[in-house]
Amino acid sequence: MLRYSISRLLGAIPTILIIITLSFLLLHAAPGGPFDSQKKIPPEIKQNIERKYHLDEPLYKQYFRYLGGILAGDFGPSYQYRDTTVNEIIRTGFPIDIVIGGVALFGALLIGLPIGIMAALRRDTLWDHSSMGFSMIGISIPVFVIAPILILVFAVNIHWLPAGGWQKGSLKYVILPASALAAPYIAYVARLMRGSMVEVLNSQFILMARAKGVPRRLVILRHALKPALMPLVSFLGPAIAGVITGSIVIETIFGLPGIGRAFVDGALNRDYTLVLGVTILYGVLIVVCNLLADLSYSVLDPRVRY
Amino acid sequence: MGLGIFLIIPFCLVACNTNQKQAPVAAHDIQVGSDLATEQILNRHLEADPRSLDPSLVTDVVGQRVADDLFEGLVTLNEEGHTVPGVAASWETSADGKTWTFQLRDNARWSNGQPITADDFVYAWRRQVDPATGSEYAQALTPIENAMDAAAGKMPPSKLGVESAGPRTLVVHLHAPTPYLLALLANAYLDPIFEPAVKQWGDRWTQPGHMVSNGAYLLSERVINGHITLEKNPYYWDASKVRLSKVVYFTVGDNDATTDQYLAGSLEFTERFNVSEKDRLQRILGNQVVISPIFATALFAYNLTKPPFAGNPKLRLALNVALDREILEKYVDRGVGVAAYNIMPPLDGYDPAVPDWAHLPDDARHALARRLYQEAGYTDSHPLEVVLTYASGGPGTRRFMEALSAMWQMNLGAKVQIYNEEWKVFLQARQLKQPTFFWAAWSGDYPDPFTFMQLYQTGFGMNDGDYSNPQYDALVDQASSIKDAAARSVLFHKAEAILNEDAPVLPVYYYVSTHLVKPYVKGWQSNISDRHLSRYMYVLGHQES
Repeated sequence: MLRYSISRLLGAIPTILIIITLSFLLLHAAPGGPFDSQKKIPPEIKQNIERKYHLDEPLYKQYFRYLGGILAGDFGPSYQYRDTTVNEIIRTGFPIDIVIGGVALFGALLIGLPIGIMAALRRDTLWDHSSMGFSMIGISIPVFVIAPILILVFAVNIHWLPAGGWQKGSLKYVILPASALAAPYIAYVARLMRGSMVEVLNSQFILMARAKGVPRRLVILRHALKPALMPLVSFLGPAIAGVITGSIVIETIFGLPGIGRAFVDGALNRDYTLVLGVTILYGVLIVVCNLLADLSYSVLDPRVRY
Repeated sequence: MGLGIFLIIPFCLVACNTNQKQAPVAAHDIQVGSDLATEQILNRHLEADPRSLDPSLVTDVVGQRVADDLFEGLVTLNEEGHTVPGVAASWETSADGKTWTFQLRDNARWSNGQPITADDFVYAWRRQVDPATGSEYAQALTPIENAMDAAAGKMPPSKLGVESAGPRTLVVHLHAPTPYLLALLANAYLDPIFEPAVKQWGDRWTQPGHMVSNGAYLLSERVINGHITLEKNPYYWDASKVRLSKVVYFTVGDNDATTDQYLAGSLEFTERFNVSEKDRLQRILGNQVVISPIFATALFAYNLTKPPFAGNPKLRLALNVALDREILEKYVDRGVGVAAYNIMPPLDGYDPAVPDWAHLPDDARHALARRLYQEAGYTDSHPLEVVLTYASGGPGTRRFMEALSAMWQMNLGAKVQIYNEEWKVFLQARQLKQPTFFWAAWSGDYPDPFTFMQLYQTGFGMNDGDYSNPQYDALVDQASSIKDAAARSVLFHKAEAILNEDAPVLPVYYYVSTHLVKPYVKGWQSNISDRHLSRYMYVLGHQES
């Protein structure tokens, strides 16, 4: 398994390199530069700024300078926030995304799993239909609708929770954004779990166990649950990455200082280094999450060996 | 600062138009007492994160706002936005108006207790023009001798026309008498800087713990895109009058999120709200919604380098005259813009040149527009077909542009197609003079007509439409270098009248500031610069019901 993991990680290096190169080229190809503004800068002054950031060098030199920086763990200075580095923006912003995303996903599992399992066990009952109906709604309603409704109810009307912002370590700032982010994932998890549970419950080894007289509770807990979790694990790999990278809308609505917002603002302001830095981070995150998902198969399914 | 106000609205996701809440909101009655609140803390708003807290690198409105609290220049602003002595207690001007001598306060200190000297200004200004600093606003120092040569690297920064004549005396040498110099001096890019901090920390001197500032507040915490926390500076020369002990600036880009955070109580003084919600907010918040004029104009420019607008002033004028600005103001903009017929927003001491047609009744004005349109060579069978380019700014902007297009179609028969580009793409297209008819809003850098009038001088950097009229140039040049305020005003008026006739641009409306302010926040007044220093503000005791 260790060999497999190492080879997977090594295999990811060319992927990441392609991502960096393409992003670098695309960013530099986009019209306008980081220091263009309506207030036009005299050419001499623009040259001063470009010299400071090496933007006056040929593109290939900038590219290799950037790669050299990454190898040394330095993502470079941010052009948009001139007294800050990209490393610093990631260092302060990323933990917020991890907390919000982590709480959201944990909550989604905590609520979605039992709902899905119950729905599968009580197939075609009122519980099944209503929970699956609700989860359909959860999938269909986008976060930019759910989030303002949560704010309106819990922050504006009853003043229980703040409408946005972030205080390090304070739970009350996490609840609303994490709930808004979790809503569609609860629904996904519930539907996925129901589907795979139903399938597993209909399989022959379950029938065998039942026929041998194993009590229903034990059949479900010992025999059905583990294989039923397999599709969920494949879903979780990308979901972890998705929940962390996908919080851009949430960050905007709740005014959270995560890197998603910095990423979007960076793209709009041609903050090349910031966008590249976040792209690399997201790329690595997706590769690692997918690897973890693959590795966990072998834990859940004895037929899978690496 | 130069900006297209609704163009700089930071990234506004779909939430902007989906978040139109119609549900009744809980009552927002707040009982305000007459005594100061025991906790003097104010939660203020930034509509974007400042690009830098280094005063030499401040180029944006939000950066200026924070710098106003952290730093103080030779002069500063009072509650009404007027220039008043800052670090300088007094100053005098030489007979030719080209040499200014400032006497600094004896009690002006840095936040580490050290006295502020003239050398701190000399250092900051030289650093500002030093090419190694890479400041985007070095050109703002243009009136000072050798500034542009130093910025271009043709001269060492030490040749800049500023010197200390003793620890508390600063002498500034100008190219020409600059009547708006004081207004310029109130901007962040001319604030002093504490050299040892920059020497010690380099580019990171603006971090909390490193920064040494001289304003009413000092920096205690900064989270990019999150918040900036300021605490009262005990060494500030006027600290005894500063009442707020802590000011927290929260960065909230989205207008709906801003309103929500205000209603939920986490913001107490906002810079914006979603204007399409104006009526609802006024209904539930009453006079907490504060709308007042600022020194900025929404306008469009004609590209005078190519057809159909090159050499066709009648066509340009026809489009200018045909717009029903009052309808725009009333129905499209919901009273968050004031109809503009000339470029200069209202300014004390300046008599604006309003074109005669602005006073005509609608029918007569439409008839005049049609006549001009025909004289320009266009008819119903041969209509004007042109593209109006603007940068993305949310659904409200789109609605506004569609209204303009419909008005030209209805009043003239002209076919104006609207075209939206991303901000940076738009800027580049403008600089390459590609669009024929484009968005060109402007917000004055300082409350003086010159900041608007210089825009249309031949070859000026922001004159993207390439307007050129020697007579106009001469009037503005003359006005920019004489000291007599009344005579200047007359010259600017004449220059503006020429603009009205030549119509190189189309003014549509004057901007207003749109604040939501809790009734217990006092010590501030609406002003055209829309700058409100926290040092004057205070919080009254209050109870929300």
